Amino acid sequence: MNWNAVRTAVICAILIVLHYTVRPLLAWNASIDFLIIALMFGAVRMRPGLAALFGLALGLVSDSLSPGAFGAAALGMSIVGFGASWLKAVFFADNLALNGFFIFLGKWTFDLIFVLVGHRMHGAELFMQIIVWSSLSAAITAVAGVLAVALLRPLMEVRTA
Amino acid sequence: MARATRLSSRIDFLLFIGCVIVALVTLVLPLQMREPLAEVLRRSVVAPLVNLQSNAERWHTAWQLSEERTARLDSAVMRGFNSVALQSENDQLRKLLGLGARVRTGFVPAEAVHNAVREDVVTTLTLTAGTRAGIKVYSPVVSPEGVVGLVQTADPSISIAILFSHPDFRASAMSGDGSSFGIVYPHLQQGLGGTGEYLLELRGVPFRTTLSAGTMIYTSGLGGTFPRGIPIGVVLREMKTAEGWTRTYLLQPSVNPAKVNSVMVLIPQRSPQRMDNVWQMVARVDSATRGVVNGADSVARHAVADSVKRAAADSAQRAPTARPAAPTSASARADSTPRRAPVAAPADTTARPRRANTDSARPVRPVRRDSTRRDSLRRDSSIRRDTTRPDTTTRRR
Repeated sequence: MNWNAVRTAVICAILIVLHYTVRPLLAWNASIDFLIIALMFGAVRMRPGLAALFGLALGLVSDSLSPGAFGAAALGMSIVGFGASWLKAVFFADNLALNGFFIFLGKWTFDLIFVLVGHRMHGAELFMQIIVWSSLSAAITAVAGVLAVALLRPLMEVRTA
Repeated sequence: MARATRLSSRIDFLLFIGCVIVALVTLVLPLQMREPLAEVLRRSVVAPLVNLQSNAERWHTAWQLSEERTARLDSAVMRGFNSVALQSENDQLRKLLGLGARVRTGFVPAEAVHNAVREDVVTTLTLTAGTRAGIKVYSPVVSPEGVVGLVQTADPSISIAILFSHPDFRASAMSGDGSSFGIVYPHLQQGLGGTGEYLLELRGVPFRTTLSAGTMIYTSGLGGTFPRGIPIGVVLREMKTAEGWTRTYLLQPSVNPAKVNSVMVLIPQRSPQRMDNVWQMVARVDSATRGVVNGADSVARHAVADSVKRAAADSAQRAPTARPAAPTSASARADSTPRRAPVAAPADTTARPRRANTDSARPVRPVRRDSTRRDSLRRDSSIRRDTTRPDTTTRRR
């Protein structure tokens, strides 16, 4: 039995649960996206194709609660999951700051795709969302992600290419 | 090996493309097809997550509500405190306005700013008016209740006043009837059941005159600082002193310096003029108002009583035509007796002023006189009218 995969699955599940419990409690304008942290956390420990599938699944779960843009989160998370896994395999070493940047980039890219594909905003509002709120949310998510990675590092091993 | 790696890379890429296509398909699905798909997910995989989210949101809402309730409660308590303070300030300002209307001229209104350093006994006040407003050194400082103190230092925009509790304060005083005079000093000995901080002493009262407890003491106007007739305080009791030829009395001041917020400074031109009626007028106006109300009541009652009497008299006059056997004198007597009945009414009017008398001790007298006069006059006239009629009928006979 691959304990590493089991641990990754458990941690991802915990992060998903946190997304639906801690996030509503905080109710910030730029909130932590635990789903993205879970996706990035899982994606760097699996093959790119599986990471894309994982992203699609997480995206559909997320979309089911916002039928207005059904599919947008699925598309965004598929791309982010695949990209994270592929980039990790090609470039990255196990570095906290790099992980943080990685999560920031992942979250911001996801927001960009979600907002653009979902056709929810236009003009100045779209600009504000992408530049201000998405960046803020990505930064906060990155901080939370770095904390999570730092806490869980002793338990996890990173797949190397 | 490289071939296997290339193959797995291709598989990964194909999977990714497949995921993207699925996502795009779900994006372009019509709403009728999207909604059942989302519903299936919500009812199966996402259901526990939705429950978690709804619970978390409920907690968040409860937390916010409790915070809001606490904030509302706090602000309500704050408003309550403010309203009490505002009400007392409003009362003070109203009194001051009333005093200003009575004094008419020769005064400067000022706010009294208490010293920042907390004192057990307040002895000085800073006033927000100075020489620019006409205030000079030794200008008397008064409040609607009476003497507060006098100005010690006058700057262009502010002035400092010493209160009657200050060791340097002196004022020439007299009893309300003007029978005895003396000098008011601050009572500097502490104690007296914890209330001795703001007591005064009336010294130098001639031995032959005695003042009973409760006698009001006013400024006498001698010395030229305070005008005559401003209340200083009430006699509490006589003090035992070593001097055998004069008496000293302990006074309860009319004003509590700790609660003085707005005052009036009398400018020097006003000081020589008497102010006897200014402070006594308040009580008189109150009792006059009460008298007017009482008078209106009694007038209305008498109007009703008169109409009843007239109706009775008319019926009595008609009665002899129906029963001619009855003697006219008897009818006249019967007629006159009910009309005399209102004579009992003065008891009613005398009862009323007694009630008013308990409300305000002194100033009720003129009111009582007024109401009694009006009532008795009308009653007398009604009685005369009634009594004359039967007489004339008898004479005609």
